Amino acid sequence: MAHARISANLPPNIDPTKAPIAFGRRALPKLNEELQSPELLTQQRALMALCDLVHDPEKVYQAVELGFLDNLKTLLRHHDSTIRQKTTEVLYIMAMHSVGRQGLIQNGVISALAELLDDPVDICRKNTHQTFEMMAKLPEGAVDILHAGLIPSLVLKLKTEPDEIQELILDTLSNCLRVEASEALANGAVTVLKEKLTHPSVAIRSKAAWVLLEIGTHPEGKNAICEEVTPVLVSLLEDADPEVQASATGALMFATVKPQGRFSALGAGAIPPLLKLVAEETSKARLSAIKTLTMLAEVPEGRKTLLGHTDTFQQCLNDPSEAVKRAAQIAIRVIQWKP
Amino acid sequence: EKEPVRYANLMYDRRVVRGNTYALQVIPACTHDNPLEIQRQRETRRRALARKRTKEQEQSRTPEPVEGREHVHVQTELYLEEISDWIIGVDTECQTDAFLDRPPTPLFIPAKTGKDVATQIEEGELFDFDIEVKPILEVLVGKTVEQALLEVMEEEELARLWAHQCAYAELRNAELAEVQRLEEQDRRYREEKERRKRQHKELLQKQKETTEKIAARAFAKRYLADLIPSVFNNLHESGFFYDPIERDIETEFLPWLMTEVEETLERKVLGRTMLDSLIRTVVEKRLDAFSSQPPFDQTEAPAEEPKPTDAEPQVAIETDADDQPVTVEKETDKLVAEAQRPRRISFMLHDSDQAETEDLETE
Repeated sequence: MAHARISANLPPNIDPTKAPIAFGRRALPKLNEELQSPELLTQQRALMALCDLVHDPEKVYQAVELGFLDNLKTLLRHHDSTIRQKTTEVLYIMAMHSVGRQGLIQNGVISALAELLDDPVDICRKNTHQTFEMMAKLPEGAVDILHAGLIPSLVLKLKTEPDEIQELILDTLSNCLRVEASEALANGAVTVLKEKLTHPSVAIRSKAAWVLLEIGTHPEGKNAICEEVTPVLVSLLEDADPEVQASATGALMFATVKPQGRFSALGAGAIPPLLKLVAEETSKARLSAIKTLTMLAEVPEGRKTLLGHTDTFQQCLNDPSEAVKRAAQIAIRVIQWKP
Repeated sequence: EKEPVRYANLMYDRRVVRGNTYALQVIPACTHDNPLEIQRQRETRRRALARKRTKEQEQSRTPEPVEGREHVHVQTELYLEEISDWIIGVDTECQTDAFLDRPPTPLFIPAKTGKDVATQIEEGELFDFDIEVKPILEVLVGKTVEQALLEVMEEEELARLWAHQCAYAELRNAELAEVQRLEEQDRRYREEKERRKRQHKELLQKQKETTEKIAARAFAKRYLADLIPSVFNNLHESGFFYDPIERDIETEFLPWLMTEVEETLERKVLGRTMLDSLIRTVVEKRLDAFSSQPPFDQTEAPAEEPKPTDAEPQVAIETDADDQPVTVEKETDKLVAEAQRPRRISFMLHDSDQAETEDLETE
């Protein structure tokens, strides 16, 4: 019978680990069939080829239409680690496109991925978390993750995983908690995040502060933050990295909305570092610092202290950003308000 | 796979219809599925045929031979042939030799014909590599650079989008914080207002109460100002304030005095009644005594005197309604008892006093 290969020597630039791709529109259906074959090698080669194809958005759309995701879901539970790794990679690349994300949500892939959180192989877990992070950027994706009840397990994982995976988890958490924070609070997320605030890695600190910020947007979150975390956040205000400063200021901004938060922040001596941040012209944290100082100015002691520093706010009025100008005006008004 | 095909000669296949099909009988449909039945039918048909044939043979078509003669089948052709079923056959075999491998075809070198001509391309005659390669190189380099630029632009766009998103997130957070702060402020102001209002209301309430209290107090004071004198007056009038000695005198002494007076008076009355009764008895006795004796006018005259006097104490006695019958009875009893005492009025009086006292004691 005739073979597609003409000569016994393979062409020089073919990758033997990938399945040969059929031409044009036939490529993905053929790969779909190969994925379902009982032979391990065929499946692996098909997955490798799929990984390459999926970078193209049109192929992603076609794959979703063809129902690839059901096959991939079954493959997630395969006993071979290479297959799992490649499947998670394919899902991650698909999640990078909007069409892919929609497809993932519609086919309920998130709950299937949840089983892989405990996978022994590092790369699988990393890809899984990357997929979650991508999905969480979409509002429906974040809601999906919440519905799948992944928050408790993610908070648990935060304690055990290596650093880079922790960053991914923190990103996912920050996007999900923007929607709803009660589950995370019930699982003691605040304690875990407090530890992370003193982590040696810069990225983890700033991300943890960002997650605390998102928790603080909810009322019950504010209560949780006010008690324990405010002093740590105040100490982070003097951190060397501007990212960390920005996130910490943001988290403080929300923590000081409630009166007890304001008192604990004042008690921890938050005003001097915040003033420094406001004085810097190009600080990312400027807006948040102005807002935090506005909150603190509502308390009588804060107002007294800040009455002496109104010139800093006057400087802010010359900032090019519209929002900063407005915030500075509001701050000045609040400071000079007499009951 | 299929079972090995049973080879059958078409000529000897029973299923093939032989002969004339114009008058072919149609096979009856599903009459005999049982192969036994079919075989039995075939057997009967064969027997019928055999019987028919033997019958035919028996019925000879030519007349019978005459006596002494026999019918013999004779061949009348030119060449006689022996009629027999069995054809003389001889078996012969033939066998080819085993195939030898086909020897390789000998190299066919056609005879050389024509002329030999040679040509050679020198360097630089076809094309100049450097000049020719430029466009190709340009295309190659251009495409690569374009691809690289596209990728860099994509990355930059992504970075810018990311920065935009961060800025937006910051703004959003700032606005959200502002909203919450204003909410908080509003809540605090409202609470403060409520508290102040409540305080003020309480204050007003208290003030009102105090003014009412003061007014009530003043009014009550005024009302009660002359209460005490009037009360005292009333009490005084109703006799709550009393001089104890006066009271004592009034409550004890005077009744005692009155009772004593009553007693004395009663005694006097008793004495009078006793006197009357005595007089009456005396008069009666005298009457009795004098009834035997005719002149009783003296007795009547004194009898008349005591009668009005008798009437007075009787009137006086009648005023003492309750005690009268008892006292009279007792007095008559006493009179009977004391009839034997001396009849002196002073003694009578004394006795009547005693009787009265005794009466009083018994009463």
